[in-house]
Amino acid sequence: MKLFSIGLLLLGFALLLPAGLSAQEQPSFIQATIDAAQPKIAKVYGAGVGRVEGFATGIIISADGQILTSQGVFLDGRQVKVVLADGSEHLATIMKRDRTAQLAILKIQAETPKFFELSTDPVGEKGDWVIAICNSFKVADKEEPVSATLGVISLRTSIEARLNKRDVAYKGELVLIDAITSNPGAAGGAVLTADGKLVGLVGKIINSSETNTRLNYAVPSSRLVQFVEGKVDPIADAKPVVQSQQADLGVILFKFGGRSNPAYVDRVVRGSPAATSKVKTDDMIVSLDGNKIGSVRDYARVLETLRPDEEVLMIVKRGVEMVRISITPRKKK
Amino acid sequence: MVSVENERMTLQTDKPNWQRCLGLPLVLSVVILVGGTTVDVHAQDDAIQNEVGVAGVVSSFDEPTQSQKFEQPSGADLLKAMSLTSKAFRSAAKKIEPAMVTIESYGGVGAKSGRIGGIRNQGEGNTTGIMISPDGYILTSTFNFIQSPPVITVITSDGVKRYADLLGRDDTRKICLLKVKDVTDMPVPEMVDEAEVAVGQWAVSLGVGYGDTSPAMSMGIVSAKNRIGGRAIQTDANISPANYGGPLIDIKGRMIGICVPMNPQSQAVGAGVEWYDSGIGFAVPIANAKKLINRLKSGERILPAFLGIESTSNPEGKGLFIVRVVQKTAAEEAGLLREDVLLEVAGEEVNDLLRLRQILNKFESGQTIELKFRRSESEKVEKVELKLGVAPLPEGEEAQLEPPKIR
Repeated sequence: MKLFSIGLLLLGFALLLPAGLSAQEQPSFIQATIDAAQPKIAKVYGAGVGRVEGFATGIIISADGQILTSQGVFLDGRQVKVVLADGSEHLATIMKRDRTAQLAILKIQAETPKFFELSTDPVGEKGDWVIAICNSFKVADKEEPVSATLGVISLRTSIEARLNKRDVAYKGELVLIDAITSNPGAAGGAVLTADGKLVGLVGKIINSSETNTRLNYAVPSSRLVQFVEGKVDPIADAKPVVQSQQADLGVILFKFGGRSNPAYVDRVVRGSPAATSKVKTDDMIVSLDGNKIGSVRDYARVLETLRPDEEVLMIVKRGVEMVRISITPRKKK
Repeated sequence: MVSVENERMTLQTDKPNWQRCLGLPLVLSVVILVGGTTVDVHAQDDAIQNEVGVAGVVSSFDEPTQSQKFEQPSGADLLKAMSLTSKAFRSAAKKIEPAMVTIESYGGVGAKSGRIGGIRNQGEGNTTGIMISPDGYILTSTFNFIQSPPVITVITSDGVKRYADLLGRDDTRKICLLKVKDVTDMPVPEMVDEAEVAVGQWAVSLGVGYGDTSPAMSMGIVSAKNRIGGRAIQTDANISPANYGGPLIDIKGRMIGICVPMNPQSQAVGAGVEWYDSGIGFAVPIANAKKLINRLKSGERILPAFLGIESTSNPEGKGLFIVRVVQKTAAEEAGLLREDVLLEVAGEEVNDLLRLRQILNKFESGQTIELKFRRSESEKVEKVELKLGVAPLPEGEEAQLEPPKIR
């Protein structure tokens, strides 16, 4: 739809031009933005594995042939080939790749005088028009310009998302957009403001953990800078949850057999923190230490993060009441 | 183009305002004509109006064919015009955000198993709702309640978490009603009457389903009106589990409808999800739905109409040839038989299945309609009134999640 819209927009702006002057003679600024971006975009081809595509997009970030793209299995093949906007083909070496950042830098032996400037400040806010320029479904070959789609920034946010359980969960800031970029080959493309500033890099296809739907997003420019400058701290970035696994509340939950069942209290161990804090049988735990407890699984996960002797807030549903309970875990025996 | 006509009418109704804007030398309104899309950003928000002062692309819409009347805009002016639409999107969203709520459910929200649309497993994250009355009634999408969770809490825009009850649901519109107790002055959205909505106008969808407290926004236009038996407005703004239950708003921040998954070929709970973020999205307008909401308040469940016949086009002429009458359905009770030829439903001729579905989509289970049919052996056309029923569930199945395949 957004592809269509851009056509309409161009048409719309063309209509606004005085008669006798065609859009070709005086391109609108969106057209100018896209035209200016194309020489800075590269088509990247690597190895396809099974159903995983072996191609992506990349953005040129230096005059000496450095290309930023998305990390992926396509980089694992014998060789990685880069095709520039003029159709020239180059073999690339992988300078850097990182599974946590989900980014990679390629280098080709060619002069690339036109390249994107990476901004350390956030570019674009919610509602701003953006143009995604990427080679979705490798529609473009050789010197053909890659596809441009129009949308707006939906949200700048840190949300949990992953493609499947084996993937590293991406937890940095994302720029969600409503142009559809969750397509094979789009990863590594550019997301630009209407006047051509780089908002970020189209990331690989991932699902939102909340909705299980595909996300259309860009990895923000500021994060790209961190990666290029080698400042991505993989440990701080992955935000591993400290699991003390030592806390005990003395709550035994109902086991219906499913881990996604709600966390109903079956029994409270005598003399335990739960007993002291007056947790009752049949209470349903809905919140613990600020985390939503939607299921038995959630409870187990949050319990592992609690520390003995540090008081936390538990919210239970008792009848139709929501009851707030302060509870201090004890050390697991 | 009908859409442009409609939009022009809208502009004309706005004329006093419009002219006032034109009269101010500095505060010029900006109108961008985008194919069938017209934006008017004027005079809705003070902040915007001040901003509008920096740009000026003005045109008369009374005679749009005379293109020389457009002042020649520079690229910079157009860029400003675009950034003004962005500001308008933001201020429209800001206007309705206080009436949006985050819904949390505990345990068994989604389908127990199986795919829904293109989604392998339904997410179990928070969903979106919209406060429709100061005393705490909230509308959302039934997609968020495929099962009835034991506990629902709602976080209102003031950040307070409250316990909510699930009341009635309308499975023909895919909406349901929640209630939070002991509140009196909840913010509610301004709603726009469906008649005022024009095809081609801006539409912005909002939802908190991605997990952030700030809603994600998607822009598009109104693609069509009067969809799915007249129950829905179609948009090309992204509609997905991230905003089912959230509002579709106009550029002035008024609610056009509630975002829901829909598919004209099926009324199954999950039907329409397969079209998420595709440019085909639906929203159910409720500005004139007082009666409906009262029914939902009383806990009523409104179900799609089910007739109970299998049929093919009649090879010998008009009508639908009945291949099978399903047991314990409205059709059986009304005495329809195999090999009857169905001629009219509710006063409309039916010659193919799509037409039948189209007609039935306008009704709900429990309503009475008149049928005309011809018995196979006789040539006599008979009339019968029947009360529409519900689709029988196959034994052991809870709800039909996958839309049936279209043959």
